[in-house]
Amino acid sequence: MEQIIFIILSLAAIISALVVIFSNNPVYSVLSLVITFFSIAGHFVLLNAQFLAIVNVIVYAGAIMVLFLFVIMLLNLNKSSEPSAPLIMKVASSVAGGLLFITLLGALRQSEASAGLSGGNIGSVESLGRTLFTNFLFPFEVSSVLFLSAMIGAVMLGKKNLKDS
Amino acid sequence: MSKLKENFNDKKMTAVIILSCLGIVSMLADIFSYKKALWYIVLAGVAGAIVANLNEKSNAIIYDMLLTDNYAIWFSTLILALVLLWFMVSKDQYESGVYNSSDNYALILFATVGALILTSFSDLTMMFLGIEILSIPLFILAGSNKKDVSSNEASLKYFLAGAFASGILLFGITFIYGSTGTFKLDKIADWANAAGSNLPALFYTGILLVMVGLAFKVSAAPFHFWTPDVYQGSPMFVTAFMATIVKGAAFAGFFRLFYTSFTSASGSWALILSILIAATILTGNIIAVYQSSVKRMLAYSSIAQAGYILLTVLLSNQEAKYALLLYIASYGVSTITAFTVLYHVEKIKGTDTFESFTSLSQTHPLLSVVMTIAMLSLAGIPPTIGFFAKFYLFSSVLKSNTSYLWLIMVSVAGSLVSVYYYFRVIIAMYGQHEPIISSEKKQIPAFYNVLLLLLVCVIIILGMMPDVLMSIDNL
Repeated sequence: MEQIIFIILSLAAIISALVVIFSNNPVYSVLSLVITFFSIAGHFVLLNAQFLAIVNVIVYAGAIMVLFLFVIMLLNLNKSSEPSAPLIMKVASSVAGGLLFITLLGALRQSEASAGLSGGNIGSVESLGRTLFTNFLFPFEVSSVLFLSAMIGAVMLGKKNLKDS
Repeated sequence: MSKLKENFNDKKMTAVIILSCLGIVSMLADIFSYKKALWYIVLAGVAGAIVANLNEKSNAIIYDMLLTDNYAIWFSTLILALVLLWFMVSKDQYESGVYNSSDNYALILFATVGALILTSFSDLTMMFLGIEILSIPLFILAGSNKKDVSSNEASLKYFLAGAFASGILLFGITFIYGSTGTFKLDKIADWANAAGSNLPALFYTGILLVMVGLAFKVSAAPFHFWTPDVYQGSPMFVTAFMATIVKGAAFAGFFRLFYTSFTSASGSWALILSILIAATILTGNIIAVYQSSVKRMLAYSSIAQAGYILLTVLLSNQEAKYALLLYIASYGVSTITAFTVLYHVEKIKGTDTFESFTSLSQTHPLLSVVMTIAMLSLAGIPPTIGFFAKFYLFSSVLKSNTSYLWLIMVSVAGSLVSVYYYFRVIIAMYGQHEPIISSEKKQIPAFYNVLLLLLVCVIIILGMMPDVLMSIDNL
């Protein structure tokens, strides 16, 4: 049963990811990216990582993709206006991407599941929260500097230059 | 819980705390209207952070995430010293009225927090956070000249390239975690030592992806394509910050990770890294020859210098630490000096091309002397510190491993090419005599004359007696 769900989700993820790339209409691209995120969230559920699944749906599929759609609608981009890349670029990027794919495939094929990483409720909100606030407390606090600087940056870019006002 | 408390009483990392608070103080300067005093407050704060950093308890483990060994303390001190220097030389740009100094200073200070974390992390989580804290303020600062299209372009390009690189870096970190089961640098090293030659392909792939991600950040070829546009489009002193402090911190982190964790697996990455180095040195130096803008030339020169600095990562031994410290100090001071002169020349002449340096020796003899010495130091010509840094780096590579002779030959050839474009500036200043337009005679403030003389003294005195940096014990 789990196997069947896994195969369905994987097929959905791969096909919708291909549609993202090959679709000429940006709106279709964004919508199929949403499907990709949902199927990946399904994978997280299969791996017992409910929290990640929910966050993936809320943040990526929900917030960020809606933002994308808004931008596309406001800028009226729903035509394919992007100039196509020269042939040499296409070839080079396919070769580079293909090589990366082969490397990753080879590395993953040889690997075995580490003991200790798989466990009943390793991805639950409770165990994630406990880890975050004990072992990873310091990175958690330090990341506040990151968010503060991102906020200052947003304000700074939104404001006028001093001389203009 | 008791362990946390114990950690709290015993921990220090005062410099990180001082800088974070200073960032908040600087952010609030507009609201509580002490903006006029802000520059002095920031200078005093950074100087205080240097003192605090030197008094840091050595080998303290902070929440199992940072380790204040001698390496961390000295590289943090170097980076803080460069930041202090940066605040002094960039005063004019932030008083010109285009930029809001309080926001800009806050972002610079937060970026410095990231730089300090990058010099002292002992956990891959902290390394990633350090890189992000260092990068995100810089994405914004690159676009801080909002009316300038090329500044906007620089911001977007830097953001896209940086986000992409972070993705690859994270990919690599997950692979390393997947194979070793830990984020701790020393435990990864133990694991790799125990595994011997039996390392799984997953681990290798992880190392390579991390290497690619970091090579993006230090702009090594072939991951350097963002650098020239970003460096040229950003405001002058933001570029200076990126070229010196950001790069120095990224290298300190790069070296720390590879030296601590991956030395026993060096068979898998040494060859790739050496090809990367040769490519970086050749591309940087050769393309720099064809530039017409001095700022863009300095961008390519910083790519080439990244190639030399990567030699220390390839070496990954005790001596390489000294070479790295010396090289970052030398490159940092020389580059900040060059950018300061370039800023004033651009302000007087309106452009940053090689032509704008024509007959500068007649109108501004001091600027010309300072620029000459900065260029000599970057090219690695005695008696400047640049010479000694390069000499020490190359000789320590040859001493430890003669099979890298080809790489040293490439580096020396690259240095020879670099003499050409560095001397183009000097020749423009002293060689041609053109009639002088009176508007070009405008002198720079006395404060800057003193500062530039001070920088020249540092470059030459450190070049005469590099022992000051070499005498640190147990780096």
